[in-house]
Amino acid sequence: MGSKLTDKKRKSRDSDPESDDELANGLFDGILSQSEDEEAYLPSDDGDEDDVDDSESEGTGASGDEDEEDDILSDDIPSDVDSEEAINRLVKQQGELEITEPGVDPKRGEDDGEEKNYRVEKDANGGERYVYDEIDPVYDSDDSDAKGPVNTIGDIPLSFYDSYPHIGYDINGKKIMRPATGDALQSLLDSIEVPKGWTGLTDVDTGNPLNLTQDELELVRRVQMGLLPTDLQDPYPDTVEYFTSIEEKMPLSSAPEPKRRFLPSKNEAKQIMKLVRAIREGRILPYKPPEEREREEEEQEEVHFDLWQNEEPQAPNPMHIPAPKLAPPGYDLSYNPPEEYLPSKEEREEWENADPEDREKEYLPQKHNALRKVPAWGSLVKERFERCMDLYLAPRIRKNRLNIDPNSLLPKLPSPSELKPFPTAVQTIFRGHEGRVRSVSVDPTGVALATGGDDGTVRVWELLTGRQVWSVRLNSEEPVNAVRWRPTKDAFVLAAAAGEDIFLMVPTHASVTPALDQASRDILATGFGYATNGQQPAAPVGKEPAAKWARPGTKLEDEGVLIRITVRSTVKVINWHRRGDHFATVSPTGQRSSVAIHTLSKHLTQIPFRKLSGLAQTAAFHPLRPLFFVATQRTIRCYDLQKLELVKVVQPGAKWISSFDIHPGGDNLIVGSYDKRLLWHDLDLSNRPYKTMRFHGQAIRQVRYHRGGLPLFADASDDGSLQIFHGKVPNDQLENPTIVPVKMLKGHKVVSKLGVLDIDWHPREPWCVSAGADGTARLWM
Amino acid sequence: MGKLKKKGQSGQAKNYITRTQAVKKLQLSLPDFRKLCIWKGIYPREPRSRKKVSRSATASTTFYYTKDIQYLLHEPLLQKFRDQKVLEKKISRALGRGDVGDAARLERNAARPDKTGKPRYTLNHVIRERYPTFIDALRDLDDCLSMLFLFANLPSTSAVPAKMIARCERLCLEFEHYLITSHSLRKSFLSIKGIYYQANIQGEDILWLVPYKFNQRVVGDIDFRIMGTFVEFYMTLLGFVNYRLYTAVGLKYPPKFDQLKDDQGAELGAFALEGVNIATNDDTKAITSGEVEHGPDPKVQAEVDKIVQQLRVESDDKAAEESSADDVEGEEKPSDAIDKFEPVAPGGDVLPQPSYSSSDPAQLFSGLTFFLSRETPRQSLEFILRAFGCKRIGWDSVLGEGSFTTDESDPSITHQIVDRPVVQAAMSEEGDGEDNQTSQKVGPNHRYPGRVYVQPQWVWDSVNDEELKSPEVYGPGAALPPHLSPFVKPTQGQYDPTIPLEEQQSEGEAIDAQLEDANEEAGEESEVENDMDVASDEDEEEEDEEEFGGVSGSEEEEGSEDEEESATLQRQRELEAEISGKSVKGDKKVDAKTKAKLEAKKALERKKKAEAEDLERAKGMLSKKKRKLFEQMQYTNNKKSAEDLKLRQKRRRLEKEKKV
Repeated sequence: MGSKLTDKKRKSRDSDPESDDELANGLFDGILSQSEDEEAYLPSDDGDEDDVDDSESEGTGASGDEDEEDDILSDDIPSDVDSEEAINRLVKQQGELEITEPGVDPKRGEDDGEEKNYRVEKDANGGERYVYDEIDPVYDSDDSDAKGPVNTIGDIPLSFYDSYPHIGYDINGKKIMRPATGDALQSLLDSIEVPKGWTGLTDVDTGNPLNLTQDELELVRRVQMGLLPTDLQDPYPDTVEYFTSIEEKMPLSSAPEPKRRFLPSKNEAKQIMKLVRAIREGRILPYKPPEEREREEEEQEEVHFDLWQNEEPQAPNPMHIPAPKLAPPGYDLSYNPPEEYLPSKEEREEWENADPEDREKEYLPQKHNALRKVPAWGSLVKERFERCMDLYLAPRIRKNRLNIDPNSLLPKLPSPSELKPFPTAVQTIFRGHEGRVRSVSVDPTGVALATGGDDGTVRVWELLTGRQVWSVRLNSEEPVNAVRWRPTKDAFVLAAAAGEDIFLMVPTHASVTPALDQASRDILATGFGYATNGQQPAAPVGKEPAAKWARPGTKLEDEGVLIRITVRSTVKVINWHRRGDHFATVSPTGQRSSVAIHTLSKHLTQIPFRKLSGLAQTAAFHPLRPLFFVATQRTIRCYDLQKLELVKVVQPGAKWISSFDIHPGGDNLIVGSYDKRLLWHDLDLSNRPYKTMRFHGQAIRQVRYHRGGLPLFADASDDGSLQIFHGKVPNDQLENPTIVPVKMLKGHKVVSKLGVLDIDWHPREPWCVSAGADGTARLWM
Repeated sequence: MGKLKKKGQSGQAKNYITRTQAVKKLQLSLPDFRKLCIWKGIYPREPRSRKKVSRSATASTTFYYTKDIQYLLHEPLLQKFRDQKVLEKKISRALGRGDVGDAARLERNAARPDKTGKPRYTLNHVIRERYPTFIDALRDLDDCLSMLFLFANLPSTSAVPAKMIARCERLCLEFEHYLITSHSLRKSFLSIKGIYYQANIQGEDILWLVPYKFNQRVVGDIDFRIMGTFVEFYMTLLGFVNYRLYTAVGLKYPPKFDQLKDDQGAELGAFALEGVNIATNDDTKAITSGEVEHGPDPKVQAEVDKIVQQLRVESDDKAAEESSADDVEGEEKPSDAIDKFEPVAPGGDVLPQPSYSSSDPAQLFSGLTFFLSRETPRQSLEFILRAFGCKRIGWDSVLGEGSFTTDESDPSITHQIVDRPVVQAAMSEEGDGEDNQTSQKVGPNHRYPGRVYVQPQWVWDSVNDEELKSPEVYGPGAALPPHLSPFVKPTQGQYDPTIPLEEQQSEGEAIDAQLEDANEEAGEESEVENDMDVASDEDEEEEDEEEFGGVSGSEEEEGSEDEEESATLQRQRELEAEISGKSVKGDKKVDAKTKAKLEAKKALERKKKAEAEDLERAKGMLSKKKRKLFEQMQYTNNKKSAEDLKLRQKRRRLEKEKKV
């Protein structure tokens, strides 16, 4: 029945245009066309509808408009067709409800535009009464499309409309009129009359009485009872077992049963044996929760035993350097140091401004007056880390730290009082020479001083008073380069060199006794006798003699100059043998014949070296033994005069030796050099210098030992100073000589870069005489 | 003809090997190489000539001995490192496959000391190699202890696992227990960096630093992996050292550790030492837990209290003495100290004996009962007191478990260590302060009679001086005497704050100081003489001071000028005196004095000059090399003496200020 209704509805819509055309026969046409359209339109509702519309609208021009109109109004505002259709429906229903409606047709026009799902009846009071169609509660019955007008007043109580004739508005804004209400009797009657399903309730939406069908009531009842809403026979029926219920008598296959069904697996046995073995060996352990296992492991791992049970001390590896320990904390690291350790404001600032790497200490002392106020040390972790880095990353070197008193490095010097006496101040200045004084010499008795200078004169002075007692001009052009007294006391002989000539003289003056004077003259004169006796070996023919011994001439002889020896080149140095019979001269420019040895008693001159390597600078006799020393620029050679062979080569290491002197003991040597060095050689020790002294700013011109038993030596330098040293040579061979600088004597002026040119000691006293470029000689004592 | 020698085939070039070469040779990664070097104690060497060793070496190239590296080649640890590397590869492969379970399993097997605080390998053999004898190990314990004590106080981070810290702490506490038992702690020093301790174990002096109990700040870029490597080694080392030490004194190692007590902050008290045999057992128990000994029945306690009370009534001073005497009698310990040999008959030689036996460290605090206030550093105090023979130490319950008593009013307490200022407001009130937060309601300045109150420094100074210092100086709130380092050995000529200034200043300084004093005195005198014009006098004084400030600087150079100056000064004074019509007598006296001083000073300067001359002469005799060396040494010495001079000057000034 329901389906029919919908069909009708659809059909009615579809057939609208037709019905429009054939308004007069609409009733039956609709029914006729129903069967045709049903199949065609069932699958699709809307799309096809349009097609149909189009196809059918061809014929009629105005059909489109109406069609649209219908679409809009089809539901709520029943068109003519709708009303007709509704009438149809009503007609059908009338059959069921057996309610007759006499005035349907005539009313059709009036009711146009209104809903037709109710009938208007007269109630007992004679008022209108709407009787609604009964709704068949089938599927779709609650379809909103099909539903009648719905009150749209929303969720407000109906009582608001009590004073109005309507109870709300439908979806089109039309008033929904209040359904008729009758008095009590009427309602009673109604109640009697009402068909089954009447509940006495009023539908809130429509205001009509709410009727329920039997099914609905049953549903309500079941819900109330807590039963299933629908009635089923048995909610839990037994399952029907389709397969297992039937026992199969025959096997599915006739294959024989495989062995694996009844033989144990070898592979599995193997696997199991593996596990068994693992368990037996303890490789597989029973399960334990992780925490427990961890704890056990920990306990197991903490093994304690005596690692040094059988310790055996090993010699430390010589290459191993143990890490140095950190220095223990000092006073300034205390939390409460003595106040003097606290930094002053400036120190603090300085520390704070300094770069952390430049700081001497990485902390500033701080004072806290109570232990509780001491904070944590911020950089402790960092310091420890740095220590770690040092331990593994810092290269270790064994440094021999000299933890000694620096003063122990200093040589043990005798005290100054022990060093005395030594010259300290200038006592006498000998003035008289014009130009430089080239050479000085104190006579062996210590009374007279001889000087020779640039003015070509040789002067003899009284040493203590400074009075000039004797003077002679040897050469007006050449300077007197060297003056030397004969070293014995039995005679009073002076040797002087000016240019290429060597003069031997007896400077007689008041203090010289006539006997001494005579003795001296005799010594000088014996050689002439020797020469005349013809004992002198004749000079090789065709060869110039090494030197010419002659009388210097009457003028000089009157003065006391008795012999002149002329050699080939300018003589710079004269050195006597200790006995006074020989003396050596050196003329650096005279190549082969630069060194000559003169024998006074024979008036003989010999040139000992056929060839000399280097320029000879100076030469000297050994004070005790028959040795002869010759200094060239770099080396000093020592020759044995008896065996005529080279004994020793001393290498002072100086660039240019200016002078040297041999210690009276004979084992030590001092060397002065133009490269400002004074060198002490121990001849027994080595060829190299024992001490090198560099106290002069300029070249050293002359060095000289004291000959009278005092441990002194002096050097003269171009810087205008003399330096006096204490140089003690011990008697014990094993001990080293002690050298102590004691005095710097300054007084000579430096003239054209020349200072002190020569120096000599008094034979007994600690006095020395120096010759200066400033034209003076000075006695220091 | 011999074979031609090729360069780089022998000599120094063969003896040294650069780090890169070493790493390559060992087939290790650099971090593993580092670890190995740290553990095996292999360090770089500085070749005598870098050029000869390697031509391409830069200044930053590190060289090792080739022999050292060769020695590493046979190290069993090398295999462990390689295994580890393989495992890590496996894990990373498993992770790459997304096989997390597999990776986790492998990871579990891995030796991960950074996670567990425990490696799978042991360093036992390394320790045995590095320290063939126990003494060698003790000799190298300084860094080990400092490091472990520091780590015991570090916060745990991802780089420093909590387990490592816990283990460090345990080892340290065990070591401390040994020191307590054996009484081998000798000295301790409160520095700004922490507390230094020095122990003497088997004749070896061991010095280490323990930080104060604060959270350590980690500043700068610190590689905890390196530190961790060291700590790993040190932990193993200290474990074995502890074992040896414990067994040497007849104790069982490891001692019983009470986790519960430790959680409550007992620290030292969490350990219970056990003897190996029964005889020693009682002994050790007595050492560790005075609590057990003392806790038991109230009767005995009451008895003791009564006696103590009586004693106190009799004489406070004697009480402590007697109790200590009792203790000494009761203990009857067999002393293994050296006996003093006195010559019985005259005529024999006197043989020198070590003097330490004169005071036994075990006896220092033995008769005393201490109570630590809650503001004092409990851990260090407990350790040091116990190490010097104290058996009964009580402290406030907030300081943790393990105290002898937490009751401050316990009558057996003889000494209380406090470190709080004296509260002025509460001086008068005697009763309980209600607002006090401690468990005992004691007034802030409440003092129990018959008890000595001292600041913590008293303990340290007593320990270092090996005698109980007089507590007056160390009373609560008192200005403490300076805390001096016991590790400084006094050397001749160095500044020593313990000796009065007069004994260590040089002659010149003394004269300077006296002059200054005299000058000031003169100023004061004149001040006394004429009160009327104080202002002018003050001016004068100021002038004088200025003058002297100037003089002290220049005096050393020129004495004659100085003399002249003083002469003019004198003349001026005389003139002034004449004008004001006062006697010159006082001034004259002063002048005479100052004159004498000045003369002395001059003489001194002359002497100094002469000495300097002599020095110059002597220096002239040295070879260049030696002279350089000498000058270097003199430089450092002069620097030191300048520092000392500065200290002396500061002290003089301070002393003067104090006098004023």
